[in-house]
Amino acid sequence: MSLFSRFLDGWRKYRKPGYYEKFDYHWTMTVDLDKCTGCEACMMACQAENNIPVVGEDEVARGRELQWIRVERYWEGEYPNARLRFMPMMCQHCDAAPCETVCPVSATYHNQDGLNTQIYNRCIGTRSCAVYCPYEVRYFNYYDHGWDSPLEQQLNPDVTVRGKGVMEKCTFCIQRIRQAKDLAKDDDRRRVQDGEMQPACVQTCPTKALVFGDRNDPESQVSLSMDDPRSYRVLDELNTDSSVFYLKKVDA
Amino acid sequence: MTNNVVGLFHDPESALTAAGELKGAGFESLEIMSPVPIHGVEKVLGKKKSVIKNFTFTGALIGGMSGFALAAGTAVLYPHPVGGRPIITMPPFLIISYELTILFGILATVLGFIVSSRLPAFRNRVYVPEAAVDKFVVTAPCDDAEHYQRAKAILNAAGAEQVRKIRGDDL
Amino acid sequence: MTTPTERNDLGYNDIHEDVVRSIVKTGPKYYIALATAGSVTLLCFFFPWFYQLYYGIGAAGMNHPGVWGTYLSSFIFWIGLSHSGTLLSCVLHLTNSSWRKAMYRSAEAMTLFSLVVAATYVMVHVGRPWFIHWALPYPNQMELWPNFRSPLLFDVMAIATYITGSTIFIYMGSIPDFAAVRDRTSGWRNTMYTLLSLGWRGTDKEWHRLHWAYTFLAVLIIPLAVSVHSIVSWDFAMSIVPALHQTIFAPYFVVGAIYSGTAGIVTVMFVLRKTMGFEQYITKLHFDNLGKLLLVLSLIWTYINAVELFTGWYSGSSEEYEALGYKLFGFYAPLYWEMILFCAVAPLLMFSTRFRTSFVPMLILSIAINIGMYTERFLIIATSLSRQYLPDAWGVYVPSLVEISIMVGSFALFTTLFLVFVKIFPSVSMYEVKETMATPKIEPLAPASGSPA
Repeated sequence: MSLFSRFLDGWRKYRKPGYYEKFDYHWTMTVDLDKCTGCEACMMACQAENNIPVVGEDEVARGRELQWIRVERYWEGEYPNARLRFMPMMCQHCDAAPCETVCPVSATYHNQDGLNTQIYNRCIGTRSCAVYCPYEVRYFNYYDHGWDSPLEQQLNPDVTVRGKGVMEKCTFCIQRIRQAKDLAKDDDRRRVQDGEMQPACVQTCPTKALVFGDRNDPESQVSLSMDDPRSYRVLDELNTDSSVFYLKKVDA
Repeated sequence: MTNNVVGLFHDPESALTAAGELKGAGFESLEIMSPVPIHGVEKVLGKKKSVIKNFTFTGALIGGMSGFALAAGTAVLYPHPVGGRPIITMPPFLIISYELTILFGILATVLGFIVSSRLPAFRNRVYVPEAAVDKFVVTAPCDDAEHYQRAKAILNAAGAEQVRKIRGDDL
Repeated sequence: MTTPTERNDLGYNDIHEDVVRSIVKTGPKYYIALATAGSVTLLCFFFPWFYQLYYGIGAAGMNHPGVWGTYLSSFIFWIGLSHSGTLLSCVLHLTNSSWRKAMYRSAEAMTLFSLVVAATYVMVHVGRPWFIHWALPYPNQMELWPNFRSPLLFDVMAIATYITGSTIFIYMGSIPDFAAVRDRTSGWRNTMYTLLSLGWRGTDKEWHRLHWAYTFLAVLIIPLAVSVHSIVSWDFAMSIVPALHQTIFAPYFVVGAIYSGTAGIVTVMFVLRKTMGFEQYITKLHFDNLGKLLLVLSLIWTYINAVELFTGWYSGSSEEYEALGYKLFGFYAPLYWEMILFCAVAPLLMFSTRFRTSFVPMLILSIAINIGMYTERFLIIATSLSRQYLPDAWGVYVPSLVEISIMVGSFALFTTLFLVFVKIFPSVSMYEVKETMATPKIEPLAPASGSPA
């Protein structure tokens, strides 16, 4: 009987969609499009923080740039009345991510913090995750990219340098999250407090258009921000259950 | 090692007739070697039952179960949630199970074939190379010269082109 | 059934001699062909591949929206080509169609080698092929297993099963022929065939067992082959990319696979007939039957294409509209209309019996169909990936020289493997061709001799 009930318990647990009752932290970002000026400082900050290689002019012309966050530009209307819209686009850390299911070697999975993680060591480079991602935010290392001396001196020691044939994407600066969690653990096992850590893009945004935090904490800035009536998720109709919310006042 | 009498025939019908008559004359463990499968052998030499289907069925069954066990077991051993799906995700695991059903079914069929037809056999056995080209050959073990003469008479009467004895200098 | 009159002049022995001759007697033409195919493989396939291994996938033309390219379309193409060999052979075996018998051995070989080339393409495709074994389920120290939820892993399992199954199927069917060739060869060939034939003697019991084993294999392989290409289609259909996320993809791919595979068989049969001197065994009848099959398949294929367009249009979603319009009138539109011409319009010629029974037009059409089918696989990937949800990430993918070279080289690789095959395997199934012929007439009896030979 006990074996049977153990089996039944396991079955219930493992047949539960999503597996986690609740993530330890549920890291979430909001992007206030009404505040975004399209300055692309977030892109630069990300490049510096995450050791993203500069691929060079030719490779960019071939569409092989690496940018974990990009600012998409959309024009509305014709010339005299043209308006420019910006939309920063980074990995949406979907809770029902299409990219995770397709990886044959489980190089990308969902961790206990609700993050969509990418394991560079495990990646064999089928690039299927990039196809399955509707947001097109996964970038592939087509070559081994180097850094001209002395630029290699400024690499972030906390972030892996990726080799050729590996997929990479925004991690919500997982190295900073880990550091904050470690500090919090050392400091009497408390939880990471709101605003204690920020990804590089959030830290650098001059207009504070980006807000980052733990959705599980109802008092956090991001929880308040994502409950804003302007809030929506990109391609929400695909049911990816993404963790990035965009705020935009609909023009009347 | 037993001695054998072999008769070479030009067509399957007379080979079958000869085999039938040999059988009627009390010869046992007859074999017919032929370049093509002969239809109607079972009428003469008796119906054969092959165990291959049991192998195939068992293999497919084991394959189906082990396919699901492989997928579900490994997922449970190292649970990492993927795409908001359950750890034991039925539809894809059933596909794995389906593929392994067929794989194990195929391998078991081969095993069944090898076991039931007593192959591979690299030891010396009664064999007539012409049987692979265009002759239909009836073979029967026979112990002594008297048996051999009897068999030879029957084979010749049925229209054998040639009758040989194999591995029997003392006949 | 074949009309026996066609082959009345041939005896069992003639076939035997013809087939043994095709294995043992090797002319200079064969060596020239083998050397050419081998060196083209080396130069066009392996050399660019090593270059790509060294520098990274960047050697190919893939870019940001178009992360999949011709490597994958070639993979589907080769898997598709593999479909008519073993699958067709199994169906015809179970339905007792005797016209299959002269050609099925080479058709099965085609399956096997297409699969080998396809499996090689997987390694060419991935970014880090030196870790490709991580996609296989084997116990390891890290206790880490592959992700069985991934359509790509279904592929791994299905193709591994398919390669195993079709190797066993072709081998099983060849055992009696290995035995027949064994007795006529000497030296290393004799040793090889002795081992390969497992000591087959052709006794009634062995034939009985072989028949059943072969039938069970055929029964198992038909659902396997259908599942293999369904699974390949799910690599695409399980995504949420507009124009890839289609329910009809599984039957579409299966039909497309059989279609291109059958066309491939026509090509191979034509070549075999001309080069190996098998004019008596591969006849107009085979081309006629294959032509009918091709015609039916082309009609089904056209229908599914129409349905695909219709459902895309009927969905009414802007992404589907965009993907559809791009496919029909966008950057790749000339390729699309070429595909329609080669795979939907040109095959209508086969309504004419005269066309079906003429060898050279059938050869040209079969090649055209396969060019069209290759284009189809390319378009499925290229057009869909170029127009996905976010317009900012739209782009165009064009194959690079390395990719084109590897594609050419893959055909040479296939040819090399096939050339090696015809010298090892009896490329016409002797015992089954013998079966279709009238049994030898009784000649005046020679005086029987009782002495041991």
